[in-house]
Amino acid sequence: MAQAVDTKEVDEYLEQVVQALHRTVRYAIPHVKKDAEVADKAVKDCEEILSVVMEGNVSEWLK
Amino acid sequence: MFTDKVEVKDFEKMDPEYQDLLRRIITIQSDCEIGGPHLYVEKMLPNAPTKLDQLLVARTAAEEVDHYRKFARLAGDIGVDVSFVLSQPNQKRFVEAFRGTITTWEDFAVFGFLIDRIGRYQLEEFIGCTYAPIEPLLPDIINEELGHIDYGATQTKELLTKGDESREKVQKAIDYWYIKGLDMFGRSESRRSERYCHWGIKRRTNAQAREAYMKEVEALIKAMGLKVPDRLKGRKYL
Repeated sequence: MAQAVDTKEVDEYLEQVVQALHRTVRYAIPHVKKDAEVADKAVKDCEEILSVVMEGNVSEWLK
Repeated sequence: MFTDKVEVKDFEKMDPEYQDLLRRIITIQSDCEIGGPHLYVEKMLPNAPTKLDQLLVARTAAEEVDHYRKFARLAGDIGVDVSFVLSQPNQKRFVEAFRGTITTWEDFAVFGFLIDRIGRYQLEEFIGCTYAPIEPLLPDIINEELGHIDYGATQTKELLTKGDESREKVQKAIDYWYIKGLDMFGRSESRRSERYCHWGIKRRTNAQAREAYMKEVEALIKAMGLKVPDRLKGRKYL
């Protein structure tokens, strides 16, 4: 398991990703009952963000 | 037993066995953290029962990604790149419980109730760990795992109020995940487990941690009016 990527850069990238997910969820939760569109968009956004994380294409992230 | 505190700068000076064990456990922990979202995000984020639940699935996944990030950084500090676990197929996960896909809300709920609880146990093993950089990470991560456990337990109880069919599905999920969970602790007669304790990387042996978990969880299962599965049936690691 040789060190192949700059783990500090990956850390910084993922920290931003996590913050974006939390912002999206926090904004949407108060709208859940009154504005379904806001919640639906937030869920879609989270799906997109998480799919990028789980594809794990680290070299693309660090470009 | 080794009790000194090891900082990053001292890691390379440590006994090769210590280095190997620490590299291994941090890699596995990273794999388990990201392994959760890989199990449930695809099916549960779009299909959770309510919009609030969908958002809470997203928040749970975000927290697990953050736990992965923190352990990946620790790994990087000792020269290990764990980025390969971000995208490896579920079938290749280090721990068998993460080698499938969660497709039902019952499984998602029970996974939180039982398997995230094991996540808590695994993290608590590091309390007082001789590798000093781990300890400061633990309070926040354990606190978030407690949230996942509570959400899972609450959802499990909610499902039990929805009639016999729902109750049967929950029992089936308990039967599956409890056995997977017990196996997650590893073999009781494990030399590696003893070496982790010898080096002060973990507090308890596999058998001791599993015993504590069974005591805690079986009481909770009974309190929900469910049957405790046979502890030995279907087990791979005794």
